[in-house]
Amino acid sequence: MAWMILRRMLSAVGVLLLASIVIFVVIAVSGDPLADLRDRQPPVPPSVIQAEEQRLGLDLPLHERYLNWVGGLFQGDLGPSTIATRDIGAELTDRIGVTLRLVVVAVVIALILALIAGTVSGLRQRRFPDLVLTPMTFVMLALPSFWMAVLFKQWGIYFNEQVGASVFATVGANSVPPPQGFVPFLLDSAAHLVLPTLVLILVHFAAWSRYQRTAIAESLAGDHVRFAVLKGLSRGRVVRSYVVRPALVPIITVVALDLPVLLSGAVITETVFQWRGMGGFLLESINLRDGNAVLAWLLIAAFAVVVFNLIADLLYAIVDPRVRYGN
Amino acid sequence: MATDTVPTDEPATGGNGRGRVILRRFRRHKLGVAGLAVLVLLALVAVVVPLVWPYGHGEITPDLSQPPSAAHPMGTDTLGRDLFAQTLRGLQQSLLIATTVTVVACLIGVTLGVIAGYFGRFVDAAVMRLVDLTLTLPTIAIAAFLGSVVPTGGVNWLALSLVLGVLMWTPVSRLVRGIVLSLRSLPFVDAARVMGAGNLQIMTRHLIPNVADHIIVAATLLFGTAILAESGLSFLGFGVQPPDTSLGLLVSNAQSAVLTRPWLFYFPGLLIVVIVLAVNYAGEGLRDAANPKAALANPLRTARRRRDADTPPDDTPRGVLDVRGLTVDFGDQRVVKGVDLHIDDGEVLALVGESGSGKSVTALSVVGLLPPDAVGGGSVRFDGRELTGLNFSQWREYRGRRIAVILQDPSTTLNPVLTIATQFKDSMRLAGPLPADHRDRIVALLDGVAIKDPARLLDSYPHQLSGGMRQRIAIALAMVHDPDLIIADEPTTALDVTVQAQVMSTLALARERTGAAMLFITHDLSLVAGIADQVAVMRAGEVVEHADVDTVFYRPRHEYTRSLLALAPSLALAPASRSAAADIEEDS
Repeated sequence: MAWMILRRMLSAVGVLLLASIVIFVVIAVSGDPLADLRDRQPPVPPSVIQAEEQRLGLDLPLHERYLNWVGGLFQGDLGPSTIATRDIGAELTDRIGVTLRLVVVAVVIALILALIAGTVSGLRQRRFPDLVLTPMTFVMLALPSFWMAVLFKQWGIYFNEQVGASVFATVGANSVPPPQGFVPFLLDSAAHLVLPTLVLILVHFAAWSRYQRTAIAESLAGDHVRFAVLKGLSRGRVVRSYVVRPALVPIITVVALDLPVLLSGAVITETVFQWRGMGGFLLESINLRDGNAVLAWLLIAAFAVVVFNLIADLLYAIVDPRVRYGN
Repeated sequence: MATDTVPTDEPATGGNGRGRVILRRFRRHKLGVAGLAVLVLLALVAVVVPLVWPYGHGEITPDLSQPPSAAHPMGTDTLGRDLFAQTLRGLQQSLLIATTVTVVACLIGVTLGVIAGYFGRFVDAAVMRLVDLTLTLPTIAIAAFLGSVVPTGGVNWLALSLVLGVLMWTPVSRLVRGIVLSLRSLPFVDAARVMGAGNLQIMTRHLIPNVADHIIVAATLLFGTAILAESGLSFLGFGVQPPDTSLGLLVSNAQSAVLTRPWLFYFPGLLIVVIVLAVNYAGEGLRDAANPKAALANPLRTARRRRDADTPPDDTPRGVLDVRGLTVDFGDQRVVKGVDLHIDDGEVLALVGESGSGKSVTALSVVGLLPPDAVGGGSVRFDGRELTGLNFSQWREYRGRRIAVILQDPSTTLNPVLTIATQFKDSMRLAGPLPADHRDRIVALLDGVAIKDPARLLDSYPHQLSGGMRQRIAIALAMVHDPDLIIADEPTTALDVTVQAQVMSTLALARERTGAAMLFITHDLSLVAGIADQVAVMRAGEVVEHADVDTVFYRPRHEYTRSLLALAPSLALAPASRSAAADIEEDS
């Protein structure tokens, strides 16, 4: 078990290292961050451009730039921004919390709902709840998240106008300024969370509940279930220990693999609801041609994905003894 | 090609035949056909209608912000542009980009997947690391960044498609790799290699055609994802750029108009929903057509029964098991045609027949577990009581306690996530709360099936044990409640020949100790001699001969029995002896 964790961690570090090289090279070769400065009218004196190149390390060869950048990472320095006053690290730490709140709440709720709906659907295929749930998930799978986000936001606004009170907060992650005291702050956060999380939940609920339905259907058709029934076990015991438990394994991988999609979805949701989270940071950085900021964002995303996969591996080992004992 | 003459069982028989079968199955999937029809229709509209439509997508008309009307079926935007023309343009863009993305992603995915699966080892490891790497990158972020660095004038649709394609190939390659991995050890690949085919030839001529149907399904689903990715990027401003337009861009422009000029928001948005829904249903239809799952079994449900007017007479001789006029139908095909079987107390009846003779379906009917698409008929009496028509909880009075079953494949019959002890305890709880000495009782049961040092494996999981061990554990599980009848359905078929003999003697011994009657189902006559009292020979759903074991072996009456006997190796007729406890060796 310990050996397995160590092996997975080493492989995770390897993937992360490789990812850092790839994204560094892609970002470094795709465009000149100083293009705006060079094109400026009237022209900027060459000495200014040179100083800027030096500050950003653009005058060095690629591999030296990479090593400097990685070296900086270990000292908590994410590299200079094209905007001299911007501190990438400080700004990102502020924003991670905002995005994390959105993603974690959405993942937890979507997963719980998907497990319940998928299991019920799988156990009662082509009968009552499944006959409604299956077409419903198909429609949800086809809904573009940006369209849903805009729709919910506008409906929220319309609802607020009709009621004459702001029930749903449609702008930002918190009111400005945030209310004082713990309970009011929590309520304020919740009001802001409802609509954006709903979008993310619907997008992922649909896909995950489909996977869970398939897993249950396959488990149900397995020999071990037939054997359990023939042993004379009760229906509840068969469903719980022989159908559902072995079927919990596949969904773990699916959720872990979906994390990048979740982050992409968060970018869209945050944009529509104007949260100052990671998504907004990415889009601003892209527009500013701030290579190091985009790099930092991608690195954090890659890190999150790798960590999630590691967690998935561990959960796997808990649910499935075949993994635990290194089969 | 030379390999065509070699009788190797290549799964895809000559491309065309299989394609036609899939097509026929697909046509029966109504929603899939509807989805495909909608897609074809939309593609036609995207190509034809813009040629005849009076307005261009960038053309400014004097009608500003008009709701839908006869002249502008989808209304106009604030600049007076015709929304229908813009939506058509968006549809063109979406379909064009999504098609290109799908082609690019499939090319990369299939190439890498086949190579990884075929060569395995280092190549496979390298490709899978590449997949891991690609999966760590959120598509939208990379695509947005690359989209932004293209010089002004907007992203070219081809560049956008290439970027998305390069980021979206991973599911295809995983799928293809998995299938190729399972295909490459099949005889037809070896045969091709022996015939002198090179690696490239094997991959392109033998492997890719065999994964073609899976690729088509994956491509369809990828197409839907590509539509969503493209419109999402355009929505964020990193995809298609004005003055050109796309569905995502149209939705983006209409963000603040949802309540005031709703047509601007709903038409392009709902069109995306319709496209993706159609794609997904078409994909689902294709998937079902390519790998039909014959109505997946559900042992929790009771199968349908034919209503029989004529209940069999009550003068039937009272044995442990008495089967009269048993029939099983799948659709209009009758696979069991009025089978009669009789087993007396403590007697062993061997039900023998080739695969497809209906013997396993007969066994399933006896324990009430026919697949959901089967209809059973006739009478099954156990100890004088009718079993047919019982519901799940009525069945529980018999299953496990009075009728125990041993299934064919020990690698799948035990629950992979529960320990051996837990699976015994589940069975033991049927008779009330667990006794304090239940572990000793399990050890005794395992001891009874010749497992050495049983205490050691109480807390093991099934995957840690060999096939022979697992089948012995299944036998021990069957013995928990001292059943009156054991039904063993080909209990040794999935095992190695050496292990077979040991498991057979274990089974014989365990049965002898409890004195239970047994229905022993096999295709192998050589196993029958040592264990059976009576033999029933089944062929094409009928019992052609039912007699005691000596008669069947020495004076067979039916032609078919004779041919079966001729096939059985005479050596094996000296079988696992009933008192062969001495040569039972632990096989792990």
